[in-house]
Amino acid sequence: MGVIEKFGAPKPLSWLLNWSRKYSLWMFQFGLACCAIEMMAASGPRYDFMRFGIIPLPASPRQADLMIIAGTVTDKMAPAIKRLYDQMPEPKYVISMGSCSNCGGPYWDSYSVTKGVDQILPVDVYIPGCPPRPEALMEGIVMLQQQIAKEDVREKWNERDRQPV
Amino acid sequence: MTTPPEVMMHLSEAAVSVELETAEMTLNIGPQHPSTHGVLRLVAKVDGERVSEVEPVIGYMHRGYEKLTEVRTYPQITALVNRIDWVSGFANEIPFMVAAERLMGVEAPPRAQYIRLILTEMARISSHLIFASSYPLEIGAATPLMHALRERERILDLLESVTGGRFHPNFNRIGGVKPAAGAGATTKKVSQDLPAGFLDETKVAMERVVSVCDDLDGLVSGNEIFQARTKGVGVIPVDIAKSYGVSGPNLRASGVAFDIRKVDDYLPYDRFDFDVAVGENGDCWDRYQVRLEEIRQAARIITQAIDDIPSGDLQAKVPRIIKVPQGQTYVRAENPKGEMGYFVVSEGGRIPYRVKIRTASFSNLSILQWILKGILIPDIIAILGSLDFVLGDVDR
Amino acid sequence: MTDSPSETTSPPADAASSADDTAELAAAVAAAVGGTVAQAEFGTAKVAVERGNWSAAITAARDEAGLDFFNWLSAIDWTKETTLGEGVAEPDAVEERFEVLCMLSTLTDSRKVIFSVDLAKDDASLPSLTPLFGGAEWHERETAEMFGIDFAGHPNPVKLYLPSEFEGHPLLKSFPLLSREVKPWPGKVDVEDMPSTENPEAPPAEAAAENDDGASE
Repeated sequence: MGVIEKFGAPKPLSWLLNWSRKYSLWMFQFGLACCAIEMMAASGPRYDFMRFGIIPLPASPRQADLMIIAGTVTDKMAPAIKRLYDQMPEPKYVISMGSCSNCGGPYWDSYSVTKGVDQILPVDVYIPGCPPRPEALMEGIVMLQQQIAKEDVREKWNERDRQPV
Repeated sequence: MTTPPEVMMHLSEAAVSVELETAEMTLNIGPQHPSTHGVLRLVAKVDGERVSEVEPVIGYMHRGYEKLTEVRTYPQITALVNRIDWVSGFANEIPFMVAAERLMGVEAPPRAQYIRLILTEMARISSHLIFASSYPLEIGAATPLMHALRERERILDLLESVTGGRFHPNFNRIGGVKPAAGAGATTKKVSQDLPAGFLDETKVAMERVVSVCDDLDGLVSGNEIFQARTKGVGVIPVDIAKSYGVSGPNLRASGVAFDIRKVDDYLPYDRFDFDVAVGENGDCWDRYQVRLEEIRQAARIITQAIDDIPSGDLQAKVPRIIKVPQGQTYVRAENPKGEMGYFVVSEGGRIPYRVKIRTASFSNLSILQWILKGILIPDIIAILGSLDFVLGDVDR
Repeated sequence: MTDSPSETTSPPADAASSADDTAELAAAVAAAVGGTVAQAEFGTAKVAVERGNWSAAITAARDEAGLDFFNWLSAIDWTKETTLGEGVAEPDAVEERFEVLCMLSTLTDSRKVIFSVDLAKDDASLPSLTPLFGGAEWHERETAEMFGIDFAGHPNPVKLYLPSEFEGHPLLKSFPLLSREVKPWPGKVDVEDMPSTENPEAPPAEAAAENDDGASE
């Protein structure tokens, strides 16, 4: 482990790691609000995001690589999200789905809504929309996969303690 | 239907017949749990397999709707209320629009009312299909999910062709509905109306919905495990339902033939012939059956409404800047989840002074403390699922 | 809304009869519970009851008037000054008070009545309705945390929605929304930069007008 953090991985190995990781993202469903229904639709028969290698099955964050925050994050919910994120093993990725988790969305002036999930955990891909269509979610996933393909293994491993913005 | 009594006896006595020493412990379910339909937290005191007491903790989705309505104008609130019960966004708009119209002394033209009615019933079908897909999943049957979701996509396509939105249409305006996204004139004056072919396609879709209902029935209802887990589980007596304000399909499953569509006049339901689906025992099984039947009845209403739809304007004359005169009114509607109502207090401005939002799921869920006492742990999930709540509708 | 097929904006044909129904219902229920009719228009009957008579009136409504379905309970903060939104039309005519509302209805017909009771702000306390209706528990908890009204005898008087460390009562008219104070309504910024400034004779699009309208503060 320490070797990769210090010297990085040789190119073929790094390619292999990224390639295999990007097509088997185990997704931790964080269905919070309306977007969860679209996430459900995206896993349904018409859109079927399992063909991208997204597996929406882990019931525990400990087996997940990807967390999709789908919906409004409230101040009461935020600590639970943070705790579940911390339980995920590295390397982990976060997609913020929908205006609410991006920035508060239609509840931008509410007294109880967190104005953006990036205040509590680092986000890799933001998907705009209220709620984003399943196609938008799938594009977000593809963008994340492209990002993973280009990733430097050494850098990713070294930024384990990445902080939210 | 054939075996459950023995099976149920067996299950319910399982915990007491085995003489094991048990200690009371606290079991925390949620706020993030795949089968709590969102972010509900239950703190259950359990003794072995039996639940002695449950404290539901809600508020993880509280967004402060009632405060936000005090800083939004009436047209802006339309966009907001879609997201209260997010699986039937369109139906949420109706009572608010009618309340504002009633205070302003405006009435939507008949064609607009018919369009509202058709789309409301489509929202009901889409909401019940979500239930029909997720409830068997929670009990352990994964296939109905695919059938119901596929059908729901077709309904959403139709909704989208009219409103431009999949399930947050934001389509109603005070005094009528927005010109539709598609084209096709009914009169010379109206330039944009329902998209061409919408009505015919909807009719075809309704036939398909009914056949999918039968499919779901065939897939799930005959299943012995499903019956054993739902029949006789989570019975809601009528007096408890009244005391807690349980409404909608959950109430009708207990044998009360009360449907706001039949007694109130927020939309012209009195022109159509439909039955109120009623259960007998008020258990999970009846709640499931009532919802399936409601899908069929909704399809029936839509088919009649399509045959009967008048032509004419989509929008009554309203001022460009909506100001609602002083007054207070409560308008309720039969939403897929139950009674949804808005108590609107206007002081004569562009912004309401106070809006009390009565949501169905909030009252339906308040029964949890009562209903989850003394049951088995797996029944928690069966009962929660059968109540068909949406956390946004609970927390607002 | 009605079966009147005419598509005018005038009140529907049977509006008069339904208004009569509402007035009749309000009068009958007011007599049964010992209250006064506060409103009987817009299809909404409201009966005002005395504060000391609150539990007794609700009991009477349930047992004698047949309104046995607990619908909802909430409150209104009547105040002269508001920090947000639009206040009352005539501030001088308003006395500072809470109005607690409880709606009961039936499961047989369309009868529904709102019961209201006035509370002074410095002494906002009311007996809990939980012994009468189990559903009142959550509604009262919500009203208590949103307005700071005390429900005496409530079995579980803790916050319902908000985290326990939350301070203040959000639905009070004096409760500010901090996000609005930090940042103005973002929609307004867009509208001001619209091309309408370059081309003053062209009226802005309707959507823009609506946003501007929605600036609200």
